[in-house]
Amino acid sequence: MRRTGSARGALLAVLALLATAPAWANDDLDFYQTVDREEVGSQDTFRLTVVVVDAPPNAQMQLPESDDFEVLSSSRSSQRSISLSGGGPAVIQDVTRYVLVMRANRAGRLKIPPSQITVRGKTYRTQPVELSVRTGRLGSPPSGSSGGSLPDPFASAPSQQRQDPFGEELDADEPTIPRGDSDLFLRASLDRDEVYVGEQVTLSLYIYSRVDLSSVDSVTMPKLEGFWTEEVESPTQLSGEQKIVDGIPYRAYLLRRRALFPVKPGTLSITAAEADITTGFLFAGHRVHRVSNALKVKVRPLPPGAPPGMANAQVGSWRLSMDVSQTRVELGQPVTVKVILEGVGNVKNVTPPKLTGPAALKIYDPTTTDKVAPQRNRVQGRRVVEYLVMPQRTGTFTLPALEFPYFDPREQSYEVARTDAVTITVEAGAGGVSALPSSPSHVADAANEQKNVLTAGGLRPVRYQAKFVAPSEPPWKRGFFVPAVLAPLGLLLGVALIGGVRGRLATRTEADRGRQQAKAARKRLAAAEKLQGGTNVGAFYAEVEKALHGFLEARLGVPVGGLTREVLAERLTAAGADAERRSRVLFVLEACDLGRYGGGGNPAERQKVMDTAMAAMEGWA
Amino acid sequence: MSGYYTPEEAQDVFLKANEAYAREDYAAAQQGYEKLLSHGHGGPDVLYNLGTSHLARGDLGRAVLALEQAKKEGGRAPDLEANLAVARARQVDKVVGATAEEEFLPRVTAATDGTVVAWTFLGTWVAAFALVLLWRALRPGRRTAVGIMSALLFTVAVPSGLLLAAHAWVDETVHEAVVLAPTLVARELPQAGARSIFEVHAGLKVRLLEETGRFVRIRLPNGLEGWAEREGVAEI
Repeated sequence: MRRTGSARGALLAVLALLATAPAWANDDLDFYQTVDREEVGSQDTFRLTVVVVDAPPNAQMQLPESDDFEVLSSSRSSQRSISLSGGGPAVIQDVTRYVLVMRANRAGRLKIPPSQITVRGKTYRTQPVELSVRTGRLGSPPSGSSGGSLPDPFASAPSQQRQDPFGEELDADEPTIPRGDSDLFLRASLDRDEVYVGEQVTLSLYIYSRVDLSSVDSVTMPKLEGFWTEEVESPTQLSGEQKIVDGIPYRAYLLRRRALFPVKPGTLSITAAEADITTGFLFAGHRVHRVSNALKVKVRPLPPGAPPGMANAQVGSWRLSMDVSQTRVELGQPVTVKVILEGVGNVKNVTPPKLTGPAALKIYDPTTTDKVAPQRNRVQGRRVVEYLVMPQRTGTFTLPALEFPYFDPREQSYEVARTDAVTITVEAGAGGVSALPSSPSHVADAANEQKNVLTAGGLRPVRYQAKFVAPSEPPWKRGFFVPAVLAPLGLLLGVALIGGVRGRLATRTEADRGRQQAKAARKRLAAAEKLQGGTNVGAFYAEVEKALHGFLEARLGVPVGGLTREVLAERLTAAGADAERRSRVLFVLEACDLGRYGGGGNPAERQKVMDTAMAAMEGWA
Repeated sequence: MSGYYTPEEAQDVFLKANEAYAREDYAAAQQGYEKLLSHGHGGPDVLYNLGTSHLARGDLGRAVLALEQAKKEGGRAPDLEANLAVARARQVDKVVGATAEEEFLPRVTAATDGTVVAWTFLGTWVAAFALVLLWRALRPGRRTAVGIMSALLFTVAVPSGLLLAAHAWVDETVHEAVVLAPTLVARELPQAGARSIFEVHAGLKVRLLEETGRFVRIRLPNGLEGWAEREGVAEI
């Protein structure tokens, strides 16, 4: 067998290798610098690549420095190549590449100063590079143009933000490295900038860091006015992932991820989030405060032509179904009907259509359960509304079909999710009863736990009507009360007292009057005595008669002027006057009658009349 | 009735407070009822609603106070008794050895309306005496009916007068109160540093016996007594 090659060939190759030497053994040095583009924005980063070929190991490199630029990162890579061409010796080339990620500090036509390298006392310089800087951001450099760009080591890694799980292309976040905080900054981002009302937009809050983090002490989420929010992800531990921002590797730590559902159209603002972060380890750490960027999202109103019963929350992709526990039941047996709405969208804010039915099927108030399971940052799940339906009589009854209109933002059209109608056949139970009794106890036995349990332990409701009453003292404390109670007693006593006094006074007055009249009569008789010696005999007798009349009226209590002598005698008898007194009275009255008409002129006669009158009055109290 | 609100305005305030209660805004409801009370538009209905709002908020002391005041003003009512029972069930304190029944006179007065008793007594008393006067004025043959009527009125007036006296006595001597403070320490003497005998908690009904300085002597239904700070209790 013939051998391929030979020992001599191998020896020649080794000799050829040994004969070759690095180019830096000579003074020939290839040294230059380039940028990945000639026009950048003041917020853009660009790469300056400094290449030196065949520089000796002890060469001293000085990269360009300028106040017009800041260096965000720098890296160095070396490459050795061996080339064999023709029959010549192999050529070994060492290429050292420095890549600086830079950003301009101002706009204008700026010049990057040359790089320098000192080799064995000799200094080499590159050409300066000029580039035009405009204010703002011009975007990424054209692909392929950046010969010196670093390869993204995570380009092949699966990224959650690159594709929407439902086939929608989402905006990948391109954070801007803030000036001054380039080592550690807070970044809020939305997965899209423009959505419909009720459509989900996902807010993510990341820490981008090039330093070691110890802990995140506090996070203040932005104000989310105009949104219904749902938590999607809230890590309890810091877990970073590598991300390249403008060519600079960062560790990105997710702090919060929330699903936002705008509830009104317009441009809605999301304020900046804030966080207190401790960097470093143990005693070497220090705390920094970072504020994220603010965001805006444009919310489009739902397009016209919405079907009836459409609400702003009914956006997404939904399926509606109805689950009936049994369609053939005995009277008194409950039927459980579940109305299930599941899909992608704001599960907790949608209202499935209400179950209705004929009067023969009594439908109790439902219970609602939600199961929300965000997947790939999209809120989705199911809302189950469970009704207890109690047939009230036998027969076949239909629960009508249900409809749930919604807007599908992916298709940009209105859709309607529907269920079929359900027929329930109610049969008579073992007892053959065709209608339920009014007593609820029978139903309670059949329905058991599903029943609406009513306990007596709750609070009684407030009263819906009020009779307003002003605060007042009890009646017995009011001023009038005691006097009013005592008044009747006093009145009665007063009346009794007055009656007694009046009686007593009446008695006393009659006697007094008699006494007064008698006294007056005696006075008059004394006056008559003065006339006794005078010439006017008639006047004497008239005065005596008046005195006696007055006395008799006082004693008898009646006028005596018009009485006959017989009647007078009777009255005197009735008044208790004895016969002698009666005869004296009558004698005096007779004598006076006689004397007034001319008789009785004799003084002795007048004296006798006078004495008899006095005797008649004496001793009659 | 105070002139601060017209009857329509008072009714409006009342309805708004009820609406606040319905939407579980108990603070607003309570505010509405208290506004009515402070402006002289009170009564058992407003007090009951106020007590129920306090109870819904969990303020047991003020709930029992308002409900007891409603009971004092308007007597017993099923809803009032039910909510008072709920409040008692939530109380922390369980008074062991409490007398099963209250004293006789407080029980009698609690069962009768003092205002009705007062007016009944006054009316029958005055009418009876008026008939006595009439009886005196009538001639002997016509006095019988008036006399019987007067006697009947006296048979009503005398017991109602005794009952009124009981009301007046209870009103003057029996002072019931409710513990408002979450925890109230009862001490041996009316001094802050005195030895504490027991503790009572919000919602417990006690009797006030005497007052000195900022302390009152309270008595529990089982006879336990101690001096507590005045601010911790409110008289019904």
